[in-house]
Amino acid sequence: MNIHAVTRPIIAVFMGMIGLTPLQASDIEGVVTVMHRLTKPKVTTSAMSYARGPAVELHSDPLKDVLALERARVVVYLEGSFPSTPLTGTMEQKDRQFLPETLVLPVGSTVSFPNLDPIFHNVFSFSKPKEFDLGNYPKDHTRTVTFSKPGVVYVNCHLHPNMAAAIVITPNDWSARADSLGRFKLSGVPPGAYTIVAWHKAAGFVRNNITVSADHTTTVNFLIPLGEDATVVAQR
Amino acid sequence: MRFATRAFLWCFGPFALLMLGSFWDVQKLVQLTVRDAIRNSLRQTHQSIALMRSKSEIQNSRFLRILGENAALKAGLQLLLAEPKDPDARLTVEEQLRELSETLGVDFLLASSPEGEPLAGVMRIADKLVAMDIARNQPPQRGFLTVETQTYQIASTPIDQADENLGLLTLGERFDFSQFSTPAVLIRNGKVLKSSVPGIPLADVESALGSCKGQIECEIRLGGESYLSLPLESIYFGDGYMIRSLQSLDSASRSLLKILQNVFLVTGIGTLFATLILTVLCSRSIVKPIAGVVSKLREAERTGLLPEFQSNPKLTPIQEIRELTEGFNRAGHAIRQGREHLHSAYVEFVGSLASALDARDPYTAGHSSRVSDYSCAIARIMNLPDESLEEIRIGALLHDIGKIGIMDSVLQKPDRLTNDDWALIRQHPTIGRRILEGVGGFQPYLPIVELHHENWDGTGYPVGLRAEAVPLAARIVHVADAFDAMTTSRPYRRAMSREEALRILQQNAGTQFDPAIVPVFAKFVAADEPAQFPRPVWPQSRPVYILPAAAAAPARSQHLENQRV
Repeated sequence: MNIHAVTRPIIAVFMGMIGLTPLQASDIEGVVTVMHRLTKPKVTTSAMSYARGPAVELHSDPLKDVLALERARVVVYLEGSFPSTPLTGTMEQKDRQFLPETLVLPVGSTVSFPNLDPIFHNVFSFSKPKEFDLGNYPKDHTRTVTFSKPGVVYVNCHLHPNMAAAIVITPNDWSARADSLGRFKLSGVPPGAYTIVAWHKAAGFVRNNITVSADHTTTVNFLIPLGEDATVVAQR
Repeated sequence: MRFATRAFLWCFGPFALLMLGSFWDVQKLVQLTVRDAIRNSLRQTHQSIALMRSKSEIQNSRFLRILGENAALKAGLQLLLAEPKDPDARLTVEEQLRELSETLGVDFLLASSPEGEPLAGVMRIADKLVAMDIARNQPPQRGFLTVETQTYQIASTPIDQADENLGLLTLGERFDFSQFSTPAVLIRNGKVLKSSVPGIPLADVESALGSCKGQIECEIRLGGESYLSLPLESIYFGDGYMIRSLQSLDSASRSLLKILQNVFLVTGIGTLFATLILTVLCSRSIVKPIAGVVSKLREAERTGLLPEFQSNPKLTPIQEIRELTEGFNRAGHAIRQGREHLHSAYVEFVGSLASALDARDPYTAGHSSRVSDYSCAIARIMNLPDESLEEIRIGALLHDIGKIGIMDSVLQKPDRLTNDDWALIRQHPTIGRRILEGVGGFQPYLPIVELHHENWDGTGYPVGLRAEAVPLAARIVHVADAFDAMTTSRPYRRAMSREEALRILQQNAGTQFDPAIVPVFAKFVAADEPAQFPRPVWPQSRPVYILPAAAAAPARSQHLENQRV
């Protein structure tokens, strides 16, 4: 990472903050293309509706575009340490799922984990950016964790192995989630060279180096997962 | 009882009984053998089932050990141990167990503390997994557990975290007999809880199995069938539970026994039938020759004759029958001989009587025997059969026996007879007949005695018959009588010469005498010398000397023609 890459956005932000050069900041936008289905989410149904049978497969509605859901799972952010504004996020435990299953927050943010189920849950993570174990706690109790390092933190429950979630702690405020069509937009990025990252839980990280100019919107497209033939996918 | 019936019964009865008995025995023996073989095969099947079950038990125990390593369950158990009174903690573990049961498809899952105290559990009731009332259930570690009407087969595995024992996981499945290839019953302390024997109520099975107490292998009767009962001993159940397999010996052996029964039935009926026919034939073959003898005897009884039996070995191959007929023949011969002796003695007696009668009057002495000789001579020339000859001989001897009933004053009257005398005289044939009528065996001589004074032209007495209406014997005697009367002296006249008497006979042939007999008699007189007149010798000997054989032949043929005309 060279010095320009670090300083230019800071300057841009600074100038933007003082309102002198608002037009100098520009947008990054693009489309994430997911080639094929990446996850096969399985969950259990609500606690009291048990009956013998296979576990319910979510999103198996044939009318729904499976790839749309996959696209919506993609998180896009910029690498590089820039000033960020910590936020407070909530990850509920309801119907033995973490809701939402993906949380995107800038570094320094705090997440609370309320248990809304009538049963005990346990929230823990062995991920490098933040290792924690909140222990078992019952309904209507909540415990919080502050994430001070960027990175992806995978969250699980000891009691319910099929409960899983990910919290993406971005190094700065520029982050976005793709919509169902795969479109994303990072606004107000000062001109300069950046590394833009697209992350999918199952596909991992896809990095691209870009240069943002002041006068026009930069376009970046991602093919997920990596290594797939784009033309073949485009034809599909 | 007839001989045929007797032979049949003695022959067929014991044989049929013997055969039925032996068939029955053989069938029973085969049945027993078949049942033994089937019992052995059932026992082997049973052993292999038990072996497979114990193998699957081992597999199940491995599977259980893997289940005990479930991290989430460990965490849940730790939570439950940390918060033993917290209902939410119990609910959490119940949820875990429910999910596990769902995934594994088990019907009963219970987590217990290391001390064995139940902490949380779920069980399937009406296809729903519901939380278990742990206060009420204290299941054993393995074996069976009965909750209300449902029986579960259960097994347990410890849940360990490092060196620490967290508790015990007990897993159960609803017990049913689908895993058994044979009907079986689940028993607890002698009480039958479940049975897969079709169509037989539990109570019946229970009472029938009561006799099996303490026995490993036993045979019981259920619903009219025999079952072999064996316990599944290779699996440990405990707590008074026991599984016994019940295998129907009858249904296993039924098809085979059915075939056997059919074979025996067909063979038995066939043999019985064959025996019946053979016995009937046998009794008939014994009775038939006897029946032949009997029918001959009946005939002999009816006719009064004693016929001789043919004892040709070709006709009666049976030696006993031959001996019987020979014996009969000998007896018949003796009887015939005796009868002939008796008859001839009688005839001699009657002849003596007649001679005595003749001898009262010197003029008529020897008359009857001479008439008899003449008549026999005629009959011989006419070639009459021996029977007729004999009839004529005796009939002629007796022909004047009726004169016994006529006063001597009339018979020996030296003067001419009055009409009244003649009337008396003419009664003598009738009187003679009446005398002899009552004597058995004299019927053949009656015509001679009665009718020897009938004339050819019907002018004779006592009846006045004409020509051949008078029997031949009587006609012959008529001629002989007249000849002798004429050739002997009478008080009222002298004897005529033979030629003269013959001439008178010839004159009256066709009016008084049979015209066919007189010439025959004439031939005899011509050939005969009175002094040399021989006494006939009875019974044999046709006197061939009377006529030369050459002369006899034409006479015979002429006589036969005359007879017919």
